[in-house]
Amino acid sequence: MRYALSRKMPTARQWLAGLCLFVTAWLYGVAVQAADILLTGAEESPGVQSFVQALSELRPTDRVHFQPLASLPAPGKLPSSLRLILLDLPSLDWRMQDSQGPATLVLRISRLQARQRFGTTQPSHLSLLWSDPPLSRQLQLIRRILPQAQRVGVLFDQHSEFLLKELQSAANPLNLHIVPQRWDNTHDNRPLQTVLKNSDVLLGLDDPDLYNPRTAKNLLLSSYARQLALVGPNVSFVRAGSLASTYSDQSDWLTVLDELLDHPPTAWPRSLYPGRFKVSSNAQVARSLGIEPMNEASVAAELAEGERHP
Amino acid sequence: MFSGTPSSRSSLLLALLFSPMLLADDLFLDSEALPRILTATRLKQSPAEIPGSMTVLDSELINASGARDISELLRLVPGMMVGNISGNQSVVNYHGTNASEARRMQVLIDGRSVYRAGLATVDWSDIPVAMEDIERIEVFRGPNTVSYGANALMAVVNIITRNPADSHGTRLKITRGQRGINDFYASQGTGWSGGDLRLSLSGQEDDGFDSDRTGADYRDSRRLNRFSLAVSQMLSDNQSVDWQLNAKDGTNQRPYTYRPVFSGITAAGNNSDVVAKDYAGSVRWNLDINPDHSLYVQGSAQHWDRQQTWRACDAEVSFSPQLTQLWQLNPNYTEQLARNITRFIGPGAAPGTPTEMALANQVLDQWRNGASRTLCGDIDQSARESRYDLELQDTLSLSDSLRLVSGLNYRYDRADSETYFNGTLDDTTWRAFGQLEWRAGEHWLLQGGAMFENTQLIGSSLTPRFAVNYLINPRHSLRAVYSEAIRSPDMFENNVNWSYQVTNLRPSAYGQTSARYFVKTRGPGDLDQEHMRSRELGYNGFFPEWGLALDVKLFYDEITGMISEPLRNNQFIASNANDSRFRGTETQLDWRLSAIDRLRLTYAFVDAEASNPLDQQFTARNSGSAGWLRDWGQGWNSALFYYGDNALNGYRFERVDTRIAKNIPLGKAQLQLAAVLQQRLDHEPTTFVDNNYDERRVMYFSAELEF
Repeated sequence: MRYALSRKMPTARQWLAGLCLFVTAWLYGVAVQAADILLTGAEESPGVQSFVQALSELRPTDRVHFQPLASLPAPGKLPSSLRLILLDLPSLDWRMQDSQGPATLVLRISRLQARQRFGTTQPSHLSLLWSDPPLSRQLQLIRRILPQAQRVGVLFDQHSEFLLKELQSAANPLNLHIVPQRWDNTHDNRPLQTVLKNSDVLLGLDDPDLYNPRTAKNLLLSSYARQLALVGPNVSFVRAGSLASTYSDQSDWLTVLDELLDHPPTAWPRSLYPGRFKVSSNAQVARSLGIEPMNEASVAAELAEGERHP
Repeated sequence: MFSGTPSSRSSLLLALLFSPMLLADDLFLDSEALPRILTATRLKQSPAEIPGSMTVLDSELINASGARDISELLRLVPGMMVGNISGNQSVVNYHGTNASEARRMQVLIDGRSVYRAGLATVDWSDIPVAMEDIERIEVFRGPNTVSYGANALMAVVNIITRNPADSHGTRLKITRGQRGINDFYASQGTGWSGGDLRLSLSGQEDDGFDSDRTGADYRDSRRLNRFSLAVSQMLSDNQSVDWQLNAKDGTNQRPYTYRPVFSGITAAGNNSDVVAKDYAGSVRWNLDINPDHSLYVQGSAQHWDRQQTWRACDAEVSFSPQLTQLWQLNPNYTEQLARNITRFIGPGAAPGTPTEMALANQVLDQWRNGASRTLCGDIDQSARESRYDLELQDTLSLSDSLRLVSGLNYRYDRADSETYFNGTLDDTTWRAFGQLEWRAGEHWLLQGGAMFENTQLIGSSLTPRFAVNYLINPRHSLRAVYSEAIRSPDMFENNVNWSYQVTNLRPSAYGQTSARYFVKTRGPGDLDQEHMRSRELGYNGFFPEWGLALDVKLFYDEITGMISEPLRNNQFIASNANDSRFRGTETQLDWRLSAIDRLRLTYAFVDAEASNPLDQQFTARNSGSAGWLRDWGQGWNSALFYYGDNALNGYRFERVDTRIAKNIPLGKAQLQLAAVLQQRLDHEPTTFVDNNYDERRVMYFSAELEF
């Protein structure tokens, strides 16, 4: 039937419609290709430079450039055709002065930081790209590398408490049981001991009040003393002694950004977890806990496959 | 992203090598400097990689057992023989040997060896550590002088106390029950920036066994108090100091056991109680030079004070200078004379050398002239022993597959006892040790090492140890272990100079109120070390899908040059003339059936053969334990344990322990009420004929408040 239809000669009306579509698409394409992408942050560190460089190489037709925050006017004074990418929290604060201004992607912001800044409402003119690994992905990682674990201990404080509900709902379909434990004073080890006693694995939330260089030693030594693995919260912790974590590095983010920038800003999501990620694990810790050495790439591939076809 | 999947090992290696660089360059990876904490030097071997057999008694098990004594806990270790000399004297030995002395095990508390400096025994009841302060007990079943030093001949019991950082808050506990059980525990833990502290006070009281073989009240109760302070302090990112102070003071009742040598003596003392004080202090400095290299230096000082003064009665002739002289010439002849003196009164001295006969006749004359009268005096069998120990241990991870642990140890032991050593005796020990762990590929783990020890009193020795673990996968392994170990004879065995200076004599002996008892025993002074050769084949596995951990081993151990004479003061002549061998099998199974049920089984079959029958006494051919722990929800927990030995020193032992506990939250505090019921299933004495209870059942209750 379709075949027969396509064999018909198109009418003039159809020709016109087709032409319009093509021109629109071409114009759009030109507009996108010619996009002016401005990245900003408080300072231009070597890391920032290499990222800007990599992004400009990825989008040769766009004008990708960095301007330090101090040199920028108020956001509303910037041309609206600009694509603005914020690289740190000071630049976010600057952007929040003005609800007007160019379409904005916010990088390197965690759920916790957004919550502290915006409360429960998210600003409509920003696209927040989350830096912390998605909870469901971390739980999937636990399921994959510690299939026998059922009770997932989670330490939280007043800042990270809001994540628990989401965590619970992500855990339910995986038959994981979340064991939440408030830890307001990190000098007091009792809550940590309690959660370790009642859990099969500890999942670290990206909450710098709880997981920081001051607490790392205590957290890792205490959980290891009970032969319990810590999963997450980030790749630095894996290097320090956490068993594993998912994470997205610069190359992942470049791919994600590249895809977003291909779309008109109106199509940008209000918030997004990167679809591109890797898995990092600590082989020595795994060995000491009697866990098979894992192939990080294939675990990441399995998790990604699971996310595409849940 | 997923392109190129090199083998996991090489990618891991690359990640380890390059991750710091990546972190520095990548805008999206946390740039916060976090040091490597679980480093190659800090990580321990997984159960499958351990070069031997290990039993770990974790805090859940310790708590659930309801045990009031460390020695009782060791019933959960397969092959461990646990008995009692009296209510306040436990005897614990792995696989066996002599029932009245256990001298062949290394016992450590946080790395500090607690067997006595002079007498090489462990006074389990006097160890200055409360059960509530114990985090876990690791028992290495088999010789391991390479890792644990001298005396680790048959096994090593490593008691690890709770980290001060994990002991914050207040704990108060009281225990009351039948058989005079009356214990308390109080601790306070606090933390500050970079440091933590735990202070605990505890006490223990009970009546011991109820009656001796005659049915009379058995004098073996105990009363003790302990003090313990543990502090850990971070000095910098890579340095920390842990220090501890421990003290114990208490009284252990002992029945009056002196039997007069001479006939017709009816007067007697009523006890030989011991005031036992233990003091210990240790400091440990930990330094992480880099993630692949760490070391610690630990220094400790310990003091054991056993004050045992009691009144004994015998005939005046016991203090005769002629009898003393005769004993030195011929102890056998003298003992015959003394024990049967009335038979020689008429016919005169038994045949012997002219000197012996002359002396014997003089003694008989004294007897006839009134030296047969009863004298009572104070016997002081006190001993003070001290140990100073300094150890350096270095752990170096040479590569991902090669790790070296090496160290040096210096120890100074001193014993001071008028009765045992006629003054003071000391000994110095130097030790060097090294152990290499090599992962030869994914499946093979080879570990080998040696220890060189030199003691001033005994001489030097070198003991090697080798183990091969074949890792079927990281959770299952087969192992073959060969190890040698030595035990240097203790000061008592080798250098005893045993005699009693009796004071406060009433009436006076030969005009003196203080005189020396005629029996004098001297150690040979030239004893050699005991040698142990141990062979072991084993399997260790963990099935995560069932939560099941299993360990099985077959062993064949031989001790040669064994010193097996009992420590008695009549003609104690120690020698290296004996040997014994132990062979058999052991199994332990720990099964977490579900989140709320845990099942634990141990079984040991030990076949002992010894040239001295005394060394076969303390081996139960079949022994084991079974435990079931359950969390019933709503704060209710229960534990049920069975312990059994078919014959220990000839007596069967079977007991079922039940513990039921209820946790009650009281605001921020937690109250735990627990009841323990122990039911003996047999009708036999415990280990020795004098150890009897009136009832086969005992109950005690505890209440613990934590806030």
